[in-house]
Amino acid sequence: MPPNLHSLLLVIVILTTAGCAREQDEAVEAGDEIAPEIKVYKASMDGAPSTIDPVQASNVYANAVVLNAFDTLYRFKYLARPYEVTANLAAGMPEISEDGLVYRIRIKQGAHFIDDPVFEGGAGREVVAEDFVYSIKRHFDTTQRPRGAWLWQGRVVGLDAWKDAGSDYDEQVEGLRALDRYTIEIRLIKPYPQLVYTLAQGYAAIVPREAVETYGREFGSRPVGSGPFRVISYDSARIVYERNTKFRQEPVDIWAEGYDPETQGHIGVEAIHGRSPPFIDRLEIHFIAENAARWNSFTKDNEIQYLTVPNEQFDNILASKDPIVANPEISEKYHMRHSVESGFVFINFNMDFPEFGYNDDPERERRNKALRCAIIKGFDWARRNESFYFGLGRVFPGIITPAVPEFDPELSEESVTLDIDGAKKLLADNGWNEDTIPEMVYGTTAGVSQRMFYEQFRGFMKKIGYPPGKVVLKQYATFGDFVKDTSNSRLPIVSKGWSLDYPDAENTLQLFYGPNGSPGSNDANYKNPEYDRLYEQSAVMLPSPERTEIYRRMNQMVIDDCIAISGLSRTRIYLWHKNVIAMPDREIVSGFYLRFVDIAAEDG
Amino acid sequence: MDVLKYAIRKLVGGIPLILGVTFVSFLLMVYFGPDLTFEMLGKNPTPEQIAEVRKELGYDRPFLVRYAEYLKELATLDFGLSDSSGEPVSAMLLRSIPISLALVTPGFILGNLLGVLLALVAAYHRSGWIDKAIMGFSVVGMSISFLIVIIAFQILLSSSYGLNLFPVRGWNVHSLYDYVMYVTVPTLASVFVALGYNTRFYRAVIVEEMTRDHVRTARAFGIRPGKLLYKHILKNSAIPIITRIMFSIPLVIVSGSLLIESYFGIPGVGKVTFDAITTGDQPVLKAVVGLTAVLFVITLLLTDIMYRAVDPRVSLK
Repeated sequence: MPPNLHSLLLVIVILTTAGCAREQDEAVEAGDEIAPEIKVYKASMDGAPSTIDPVQASNVYANAVVLNAFDTLYRFKYLARPYEVTANLAAGMPEISEDGLVYRIRIKQGAHFIDDPVFEGGAGREVVAEDFVYSIKRHFDTTQRPRGAWLWQGRVVGLDAWKDAGSDYDEQVEGLRALDRYTIEIRLIKPYPQLVYTLAQGYAAIVPREAVETYGREFGSRPVGSGPFRVISYDSARIVYERNTKFRQEPVDIWAEGYDPETQGHIGVEAIHGRSPPFIDRLEIHFIAENAARWNSFTKDNEIQYLTVPNEQFDNILASKDPIVANPEISEKYHMRHSVESGFVFINFNMDFPEFGYNDDPERERRNKALRCAIIKGFDWARRNESFYFGLGRVFPGIITPAVPEFDPELSEESVTLDIDGAKKLLADNGWNEDTIPEMVYGTTAGVSQRMFYEQFRGFMKKIGYPPGKVVLKQYATFGDFVKDTSNSRLPIVSKGWSLDYPDAENTLQLFYGPNGSPGSNDANYKNPEYDRLYEQSAVMLPSPERTEIYRRMNQMVIDDCIAISGLSRTRIYLWHKNVIAMPDREIVSGFYLRFVDIAAEDG
Repeated sequence: MDVLKYAIRKLVGGIPLILGVTFVSFLLMVYFGPDLTFEMLGKNPTPEQIAEVRKELGYDRPFLVRYAEYLKELATLDFGLSDSSGEPVSAMLLRSIPISLALVTPGFILGNLLGVLLALVAAYHRSGWIDKAIMGFSVVGMSISFLIVIIAFQILLSSSYGLNLFPVRGWNVHSLYDYVMYVTVPTLASVFVALGYNTRFYRAVIVEEMTRDHVRTARAFGIRPGKLLYKHILKNSAIPIITRIMFSIPLVIVSGSLLIESYFGIPGVGKVTFDAITTGDQPVLKAVVGLTAVLFVITLLLTDIMYRAVDPRVSLK
């Protein structure tokens, strides 16, 4: 071999070794060499957050990581289902004025941020009311690249004006103030019953101003919070935390957390009663998008200890689908829990398209409605459920999901029942045939599953006489491109999934509120004055039978106007190792459960 | 001195190549790449908010201004902050490139060394059953999807359903033992696939060399097969082999191996690049594309110098 080749090989070896050494150094720095007596919990998620900055905590993955590094005023109870809010950093539930416009919230004294060089002397300072005010203001400062302003815009007195005036943090906002070191006051423009829910979101997590100002956008990878854990390393494969030793000591009352011995007695959470979380020394969340890798890692028994079971494994782990029962081998090795997701999957018609939705010609508009209704009748939810969700999904009519208290179990299921003859008749009665039926562009991101969804949809349509050649696939390379087109109202139908931000049907009803039309979340561009009036009326109402009645009327309008093919809530199955004491969850904002996780002793 | 002069001339000559590659890729990124605007927006954005985000991302500025900034970033190796995580791009690359290098290098070296070795054996036994067996194995390696190979190796060697010898995923390297444990299965998977392509290519090169007059003459002189293969065939086949190996290096260094990194949970540059492509993280993409172009120019230069080293007839003028 020529000497030059020897040299090249030598260079490669040196570079490679340097790479290992570097990784090694960082790993050790990050506390990666784990002492045997350390309690470690390794969770997994099927996606990764792009940042740990609360101001960008826009999805379930980001919330899961943010809520463990930072504090929020409120959180969801660990064990209570349906979900209930409880105080977190707040000293209690807010004092609300009689007109529902003024909220006063006391925060707990003695909570501290983690130690960081940004603080004087490096010791984390106390969290104060002004930190909360600053954290919310960030959503109204475009330089922070915020994503959560929608929760509070048009709601808090003076906040939008503060932004319009240039987002000067030294300027006070009339409706968002720290009255003293530990008291927050929020003044609303109109009542906002979901406000407390918004304060349990990752978006509302509390950050110290000095850290944000010192680190700038790097704050997204150098979090400084007051949550139960402290981030020690973060990359595209995992995030590693260690216990925040300064986290406030608050013994858990499992009864107050909603403990139900009948359904939760087997998971061992009684062991944490009376103790102060967090109970583990080290938390790792592994981001594993690939189902096979996640499953192999979980079943190996010394890697990840928890996963949301991939659909393709349902067949292998279940002895029975109804009721859902694990097979003996799985029951022996793992804890299992299942729940219907809080959100749902559905397909919207975009009413902006004159071929399917609103039309200047009233006669055509009437025929369009018949066309939409026929498509809905031809959609086989049972088959969709069986093909893609192992038959475990919960099919329901309308847009109020089974997870919220306003769900109506008695509602007619006609809109989710296959009726091919009815669909054909509807088409024929309204002059739709192979020649007159409009072309329908079905947009989706590139991927095998997405392609299968499309093919099945096209098959359903073929059965009602919709020519397959007129159901045209448009694939997008990335989800961002797909969102761009839906946001710009460029697709006649929009297939989507929606995860609930909070357990209130308002969160899905707003998807059809006229003013939220494209580029907003109403990508059906449904504009029904009566619906909008009811939405505005209910939006300021506290939970009550009267409000539920209004919600249900709005739901019926969406069904009657044939605006969406809806819907199905997927069933999620969670598995975790027997030595892990936990009730894992990934619904609503997820992530709060991790502070309550404990690891049983070897002999326990 | 000649080599130095040549190197300088070649590097200067590489500038138009870098400009061309960066211009075209930046053009594609800006006009056809993913748009981060709607990822960055919250729910129910107003047109004003959309405009604000576009401004914040710099999408509203003229193309040429942005391109000029890109060139400046490339010259200073300061690519700013990731649009997604806010982390400095240089820090992301400095953290992930060594990991990818450590991950991919053993497979890269083994894949090429074994490829040359098998190609020599196959070519020497041309048309015999050994040749057919090696070529058959190569076709299998080429035909099976890399993804299937990865999953199969993972199940077979790492999972509880198989031999359970290695970790399924992760990269907690504290010692040589850890390194061997984490790198073995990815290496075997990549060698399995690379061998197919490499062996076929190298065999074709070697077979061509074997038909040359000097080889026939050497055989007539009764030179031993080992010496014949190494001295008279392999050395004379070195140029296409070097070319193939050298031109793979920039991709190995900068692009890593996305599938391997994803399935084995290794935080290398392949995963960083893929995430940047899917999310439209332009600062990261610009860095990866620019550095790859620069590395290609350097590789071109090194390749030419190596040609000269292995074949003195090659002129550097």
